[in-house]
This record gives sequence, C-alpha cells and structure tokens, in this order.
Amino acid sequence: MHITSYKDHFSTLIALLLLTVITVVISVFGANLRSLSVFTALLIATVKVIVVAYYFMHLKYDKKIYTWLVLIVAILFVSFAVLTSIEYLNR
Amino acid sequence: MTSTALNLNYLQAKKGIFSWIFSVDHKRIGLLYLYSLITFFLVGATLGVLMRLELLNPGKDLFEAQTYNQIFTMHGVIMIFLFIIPSIPAVFGNFFLPIMLGTDDVSFPRLNLLSWWIYIIGAIMALSTLLFGDGPADTGWTFYAPYSVKTGTNVTMSVLAAFVLGFSSILTGLNFIVTIHRLKTPGMTFLKMPLFAWALYATSWIQLLATPIIGITLLMIVAERVFGVGLFDPSIGGDPILYQHLFWIYSHPAVYIMALPAFGIISELLPTFSNRTIFGYKAIAFSSLAIAFVGYFVWGHHMFTSGMSGPARIIYSIMTFLVAIPTAIKVFNWVATLYKGSIDVQPPLLYALGFIFQFMIGGLSGLVLGALATDIHLHDTYFVVGHFHYVMFGGTGFAFFGALHYWYPKIWGRMYNKLVANIAFFILFIGFNMLYFPMMIAGLMGMPRRYYDYLPEFHLPNMISTFGSWVLAIGLLLMLGNLIAGFRRKREKIARNPWGTGITLEWQTLSPPPVANFDRMPVLPKDGPYDYDHKPEIKE
Amino acid sequence: MGMWLFLFTELLLFGGLFIVYMVYRSLNPESFLLASFELDVAMGTFNTVVLLVSSMTIAMSITAIQTGNAKKSIFLLYTTLGLAIVFLIVKYFEWSAKIHHGLFPGFEVYDNLPPGESLFFFLYFFMTGLHALHIIIGGIIISVVIYRTKKGLVNKEKYTLTENAGLYWHLVDLIWIYLFPLFYLIH
Repeated sequence: MHITSYKDHFSTLIALLLLTVITVVISVFGANLRSLSVFTALLIATVKVIVVAYYFMHLKYDKKIYTWLVLIVAILFVSFAVLTSIEYLNR
Repeated sequence: MTSTALNLNYLQAKKGIFSWIFSVDHKRIGLLYLYSLITFFLVGATLGVLMRLELLNPGKDLFEAQTYNQIFTMHGVIMIFLFIIPSIPAVFGNFFLPIMLGTDDVSFPRLNLLSWWIYIIGAIMALSTLLFGDGPADTGWTFYAPYSVKTGTNVTMSVLAAFVLGFSSILTGLNFIVTIHRLKTPGMTFLKMPLFAWALYATSWIQLLATPIIGITLLMIVAERVFGVGLFDPSIGGDPILYQHLFWIYSHPAVYIMALPAFGIISELLPTFSNRTIFGYKAIAFSSLAIAFVGYFVWGHHMFTSGMSGPARIIYSIMTFLVAIPTAIKVFNWVATLYKGSIDVQPPLLYALGFIFQFMIGGLSGLVLGALATDIHLHDTYFVVGHFHYVMFGGTGFAFFGALHYWYPKIWGRMYNKLVANIAFFILFIGFNMLYFPMMIAGLMGMPRRYYDYLPEFHLPNMISTFGSWVLAIGLLLMLGNLIAGFRRKREKIARNPWGTGITLEWQTLSPPPVANFDRMPVLPKDGPYDYDHKPEIKE
Repeated sequence: MGMWLFLFTELLLFGGLFIVYMVYRSLNPESFLLASFELDVAMGTFNTVVLLVSSMTIAMSITAIQTGNAKKSIFLLYTTLGLAIVFLIVKYFEWSAKIHHGLFPGFEVYDNLPPGESLFFFLYFFMTGLHALHIIIGGIIISVVIYRTKKGLVNKEKYTLTENAGLYWHLVDLIWIYLFPLFYLIH
C-alpha cells in the first residue's frame, strides 16, 4: 500500500501554484487573444484537476478501475456539453 | 448466531411497526418500498381513471380545463417518480440482489433505510401540493418553462419533492453498485452473476450519473420562480429550450432506469419457466450496459419540434435508432430461450409473455417517434401517450406484476390462487390493450395530448379507451385482491424451490428467508447462473 | 468506492450548472465580460491558493495517520479547517461588497441590469453559493474526522473516514479550480 510522502504532497502543491500563476498571468496580460485565453484557461484548469486527482486523490496508486471510472464520467459530461453546444451553434 | 436467528425468518424476527420502519434489513426495506409504492400506484391509477372519465365524451364532462391539467400532472409525477422509477430496483432489487449474489445484505444497510425515508418525505411533499394554495402543478410532469416559472400553482413544492426523491434514487444506485462490486459470493464473477443483477448494475449507473442533472435543473426552476432571474424565461433573456435540454438529459436515461430492471426480470422468468438456460447470456448482460451508455445521448428526440437546430435533430434521430439495437437483441434472445424449452405455464410466465408482446409494440412505436420526419406529425399527440404507456406500463408495469407473482412464495412463504391469478392476467391484458391501443390510432388521426376536450372525430377511440380503463381497473383489483387473499390461505409449508425450476440462489434458501438470508452456504451451479445441466441438488 | 461514486454525482450536479454557464456565456459574451469586471481577481486568486494549500494539508493528514501519527493528522486537519474558514471569510467580503452595490437578485441595481449581466451575477451567486455550501459540509466532515481521530476511532489501522473526507475536500477544490477562471478571468 502506497503512502505518499509529505515532500511529494508539497511538490504537488508547488506545481499547482505554478499553474495558477500561469493562468492568471495569461488572462491578465493576454487580453487581446480573447477566445484563445478562454481555451487556455480551461486547458490549464483541466491540467490542475488531473494533478489533484492523480496525486492528491491518489488515483495514480489506486486500482486502475477508479481511473477508468473517472474517465468515463468525464467523457459523459463532456459529451453532454458537446451535444448541447452543437445544438446551439447551429441555430 | 443465536438460535432465534436460525429458526425465525425475517418476517418473524422482530415485531411491531418500529422494527420495520427502522429496520436495516434489506428484505424489510424492500417490503416497506413495496407497500408504499402500491399505495401511490393506486392513487396515480385513480387519477388516470378520472382522466379517462373526462375524456369519455367530447366537451367538459367533470372538470375545468385547469383541473384536468392538474390531474394529468399529478398522475405523471406520481406514476413516474413515486412508482415506476423506484419500483423494481427498490422492491425486488433490495430484496433479492444480496440473496442472488449469495450475501447477507447490501454494502450500506443504513444508507438503504435512509433511501426509503427520503422517498417517503418526497412522496409526502408531492402529495401535499393537493392541500394548499392554488393546488397541484398544472404544467405536466415535465415542468416546461416558461409556464412552469410563471404559473401560480404549487410548482415549487412539486419540483422540490422531485429533487428529494432524486436523492433516494441516487443513494439506492450507489448502494447497489458497491454491493455488486464488493459482496458477490466467492466463485461468482461478474460473468457468473444473474442477469437481474446485471440489469440492476446498469440501472444503478444511470441512477447515479443522470439524476444529479435533473436535481440541479429543478433547483434552477425554483430559483427562477423565486428570483425571476431569466434562466429560462424568454421575456427576460432566458432560453426555454435550455430547460428542455437539461430536463431530458436526465429524463431520457430515466426511462432506461424504468426499462432495464424490467428486462432483468424477464431474463429471470424465462429460464425458470422454460426449464433451460438463457439464450445468449453475455449478449443480454452487455446489451444492458450498451443501452445504459447509448441512452445518455438520445435526449434530443423529445425536442424535435421545440425549435432546436437541424443538424442536432439528425444526430439525435440516428442515436435513437442505435439504442434500439441492443434492446432488439434482448428480445431475440428471450424468444430463443423459450424455443424448445419445457414450458410451464404459470402466472409469472403469462406476465413475461404479455411484457414481450406489449414492449414490442411500445418499442416499435418508439422507432416511429425516433424518426425525425414522422415525429413532426406525431409529437405531443396521443400516439406518444400510447407509446410510453405500452413500454412503461405494458412493459415495466407487467414485469413488476410478474416479479410479484414469481417471488411471492419466496417473500411471504405463502401461495396465491393460481387460477384467479391467470384470470386476472387476462382481464388486465385485455383491459390494457383496450385502453392504450386506440390511443395510437387517435394519435395517428391527429388527436393532441394534454387537452381536456377533443374534436368529435376522435370520439370512438376515446370511448373504447375509457371502457378499457374500467376493464383494466377490474383486472388490477382482482390481481391485487388475489395476492392479498393469498396471505390468508392455509397451505402446507412452501418449499425452497416452489416452482421447481428456479436456479438462481434465492431458490436454495428457505421460503421466507432467514434474517441472514441463507441457512446453508449457497452452492453455485458449475458453469454459470443458468447452468441447468448442472443444477445443484438442494434438499429441503 | 462509495465516496468516489458520490463524488461522481457531485461532478454532474455542478456540471449541469457549467452547461448553463457555457450556453449563456456563448449567447452573451460582451455582457459576461462587462459583468466580470466587478469581480476582484486578487481575491479570487487568493482564495484559489487557499484551497490548493488546504488540499495539500488534508492529503498530508492522511499520510500522517497512515504512519501512525494521530497528533500530526489532527493538526493538519485543523489547518485544513482553518483554511476553509479563511476561504469563507474572503467569500463573505466579496459577497457583501456586491450586495452593498445592489448587485443581488431583488435589489434595485441588479433588477435594472441587462439580461446577460444579471445572468452572470445570478450564476456567480448560485454557483459560488452552492460551492460554499459544500465547503461548509466539508468543514463539518473534517470536524467529525478530528473528533473521531481524537477518540482513537480513526487510527493507523482504520482511516477510511480520513481518506473519504480527503476525497470530498479535493472535489470542493476541483470545482473551484474551474469556477475561478470562468468567473474571474474573463478578459
């Protein structure tokens, strides 16, 4: 059974803080690239979420099935968003 | 184990109402659900009979238009949220899932009891709308905006009731998923699980993942009614179609919550009464998962005439046709199971056969509605009403009755009068088809739904339909009366396997089961749950 | 496993709101942009940092109990709780500032806003409010873990409760990770 060390937890935090800084900087200073910055912000947010899930929530060290379940649920939600968007974009 | 636990079955173990409503025994909880459900079903059915009375003749017969709207709304809310959605999982899933898996309870027994309590609270909330203000909601069970955010009737309370009931559904689903993953008896892998368990597994995933969406949507309706925000009200910038999207993202998968457990029941009834193994076990098991999965992506077929965009409509129509495929696979496999089986015509089998016939009609009419071009003409007509009653009532409803007749001796250790049961079935069957088939015709002729009045040209199908509702009512009362009378019949002790040909694990234990479910370690058939070639020999 | 399944329901619950946000933002891009200027990026960023640190402290509290150090676990849990309270205090200031400016449903300024902007604020209050409710629930759960750890009911052999509390807390953090850019960083 894997026990994450305090050091590893701290490193994860540093990574997350860095990503946060990047997000804020891009959006505050990259105002002209408007739609790109939305996409980038969400992308970085997704990376942060993956980091939290994988390390803090221990998915990396748990049985594979949990990762699969999380992926399936994520895909399900994304497909709701995508299908709904397709409908709106074609009006 | 004390001798009390060994000698007493779960009905006898503790007495008094508090030992029931605070019980964490999955069997007692299943029965608590059963008694509540049947009560609410009868209320909902009475509302249905009232609707048919109004529609016997054109023009106003008994009710004002708005009262009629309130009646059909209550009818829908009760039948869908208080009866059909919980029905098979909460009653038979709770009672038999642990037993079929060879274990002694679900993973979270106290959560199970909480599910029932939440259900009762939600039910009281829903029924309370009859008692105050402008009366029950008159929006239809679908609560479409913008009307639902403006009408003065008790929409907020109805919607909050549905929100509460959603939690009951979610917790049951969660409990079953963990139970199936964690508590299968040694030797029982996923692919050696009975098909009813597979059905419950697929259903539980839908309950878990789809219900939260309607939860939040209903909260948004309340928010809009209270704060007037403009989420769904077009006059202040909202989009009513967005409400429809969110509503149906849950409510379409919800119909698979209703259908999949019923499929599971049929997959249990047919092997027993054909005395042979099910045809295509893996196909049936995986098709349950396929239906659950694809069913998430078809919701737009409820919205073809809403003003949704063209390309989206085509996508939803295609997906709808896809989801019919695994369902058809099941029907073929069931019929193949009956073929060359040693058929034992008993009341449960009659309900299974009725299911196959009625679900076929319902399912095929669903394809007619799933096809974009025909749906334009048939949306919101009585064809739709006929379609969903055929699948939900003629399908799931009959499967529920079939399960009741099948497991009756196991649950209560008594037996009902089979002749009366058969007669009740035929009256039900005739009444059901007399009630709903004319609706398909009226719909094709153009009769719209949710109106308390109609044009004279629709008189004949409506009259037949109303007469059918009376025949159906008689059948229901006879069926229920017979089952209740069965409690009082003095008979010899019921065997462990009263049908003789049951092979799943519940038929190895006593009738009724002991508190801990099994008095002896269950023996798994060698090659799978329906291995009739190696049926374990069980002595009394 | 039960807690993961429950987390899935929470994801979809908030997911519905994110879909509503997505639709209305695409329909009202300028209004959303305009309205978002009312939000203070500094406070939002600060709160993001607070939650990220609290995620670390609760993850560390699991490490502590796994290595048999109940005292440290309790300390880390208290820290997490403290950070939660800090988050809520900042939120309180943010909200009361807006309400003071009349930007709440039912108040005059809000009622006179154009539809896109009022939607932005409504979604802001609804989503951050629902999120705050989950922080409070999370706080209660953490308090229960602290209590049971002190009593020895949660220990090196039996710490599922701490893990479950951690999972729930990380979910609260996850939701904020998406809320933050969508409301504060529209530019």
